[in-house]
Amino acid sequence: MSSLGEEYPDDTLTFMLLAIEQAKVAMDCLEVPVGCVIVEDGKVIASGRNRTTETRNATRHAEMEAIDTLLEQWREKRLSQSEVAKIFSKCKLYVTCEPCIMCAAALSFIGIKEVFYGCGNDKFGGCGSILSLHSSSSEPLISGGAPRGEGFKCNGGIMASEAVSLFRSFYEQGNPNAPKPHRPLAQQATQ
Amino acid sequence: MDTWQILHIPDNPPIAPDQQPTVDAIASLIDPKFANTLVRRLNQISPLENLRHVKRVKKKFVEGVYLTGKTQLSVILCLASENGNQLESMQNDVQELMNSYKLSPFITKVCKYAALSKEEWEEQCKLWPTSYHPPTYNIDGITGFSEEDSQSVFRFMKYAIQLAKSSDNLVVNAAVIVDPSVKQVITTACDQTCSSYSPTNKITLETSCCEKLEAFISHSDSDGVLNHQTVHSNSFPDKSKQLCTGVSCLYPWQWADQQSDMSSCYWHPLRHAAIVAIESSAARDRYLFPSLGKIQDKSFEMDNMQSSSAGSPAKRQKTNSTNVHSDDNLTNGEGSSSLSARPYLCTGFDMYLVWEPCIMCAMALVHQRIRRIFFAFPNPDAGALGSVHRLQGETSLNHHYAVFRVLVPQQILSREG
Repeated sequence: MSSLGEEYPDDTLTFMLLAIEQAKVAMDCLEVPVGCVIVEDGKVIASGRNRTTETRNATRHAEMEAIDTLLEQWREKRLSQSEVAKIFSKCKLYVTCEPCIMCAAALSFIGIKEVFYGCGNDKFGGCGSILSLHSSSSEPLISGGAPRGEGFKCNGGIMASEAVSLFRSFYEQGNPNAPKPHRPLAQQATQ
Repeated sequence: MDTWQILHIPDNPPIAPDQQPTVDAIASLIDPKFANTLVRRLNQISPLENLRHVKRVKKKFVEGVYLTGKTQLSVILCLASENGNQLESMQNDVQELMNSYKLSPFITKVCKYAALSKEEWEEQCKLWPTSYHPPTYNIDGITGFSEEDSQSVFRFMKYAIQLAKSSDNLVVNAAVIVDPSVKQVITTACDQTCSSYSPTNKITLETSCCEKLEAFISHSDSDGVLNHQTVHSNSFPDKSKQLCTGVSCLYPWQWADQQSDMSSCYWHPLRHAAIVAIESSAARDRYLFPSLGKIQDKSFEMDNMQSSSAGSPAKRQKTNSTNVHSDDNLTNGEGSSSLSARPYLCTGFDMYLVWEPCIMCAMALVHQRIRRIFFAFPNPDAGALGSVHRLQGETSLNHHYAVFRVLVPQQILSREG
């Protein structure tokens, strides 16, 4: 994984700012503030933000929302699986927090090209913190095995302090929509 | 194999309790009369943040001469830094405390992670005392199932297997979420990564399916958890030419390789059975308890519930005609549950899956707070509950479920679905 201080293309911060905008939208909707954008050939083609509280579905993370938006668009255009796979392989994801284990697996399954994230996720991170699902498996396959993804390139620490300060203000304000006192804590866990 | 059986899949692969990872801490002997003051102060200035299982104070009875003896107390001052000069890297206020009480520090090893078994805990305490709170032992079933509970587990697994066979004539993974307190099905789902299948692919894929079976056999031998008996129930009988290549969690990367023209069919690379079931249970929750969340458009909720079951029209019928549970449970359950307390996500619910889930689905089930997972067949190349990963043993997660494998009698699998 690349670390802070490495040179990134000029547009990296631009796209991360857009992801942070999405995180702020989530915050305004009393959701855990995580947002993302997906970029193909230097153009934003989808954005997403956390919707776990609204949907009562704790898997509706920003990444899953953005991926589903794209798949819906491409379904309407009647793209085939191989066409969809080809586009995903050119896409880069910018997300304010390290993808969790579930999202990192999903990004590997769809075959994303590269991921840029803000702060690390030391409880659930799937791109190095807890598991490393972005790196392609080095284990030998058993007897031919199933085809595996190639993994994806991962760059952390981009505008991490902005992402963290969003989390901080979210947990300080609490979640007035929560039905139970422990809910904000439990939600904290979801991203 | 001709009997049902439930096996607990533990949080950790068997490792020797004396091989647990440790970290270094700086400790010191203290005068027992200052113990309270020192511990209170140290908890303020140097809390053991990620070592909550480690006790601050170690008590040791030292035998003296002439049959006298005394209790010796030592206390952890702080964690040792990973490099070089320990004392210089200590916090100033810890240093001050050390100087004013004339403490003489030493390095000790403490176990890095909380003990997961009594054996581990006993071993940990030889280094430095820790507390032991078995995190999962309060989940029913780990210490065994009653006859009644076993029968209920077998019925729900049988139901899941029927769902897996009935969906589009293709063997897919099936998921059944159950409220075990009332033995009621909350929701069911099948894989929706690919809702129909091209016959031209079948022959080559069938070969790889056989290879898979062999791979599993060798894998299970080395695994130690599964025994040779289970081989018979590894896959559905192939006389009906059913293929397990439709199981999303077994081949999560495969969707991109579909050669056929699927443009008229519904497909989605991430709609594995568990993910669809979670979505459907969330939609059910919003429908049954609309007032507790944000006010939402009810017709939207209904649409969502409809679409989540649209992938397999046969499923509904199955639900109504199955003998898994009495009709009373099905019909009364939905109506009466709106009066009972609304659960937070899937807290307290069980998940039945025909195949061991992949890492995406396993983590989704953590997020949604499932209490127990039962699966029938292992997933040697992509399974996340013991085969490739063992998510139930990741201590950093904020929720832990108990995992069981259900061994299924051959006759259940051979019966025409």
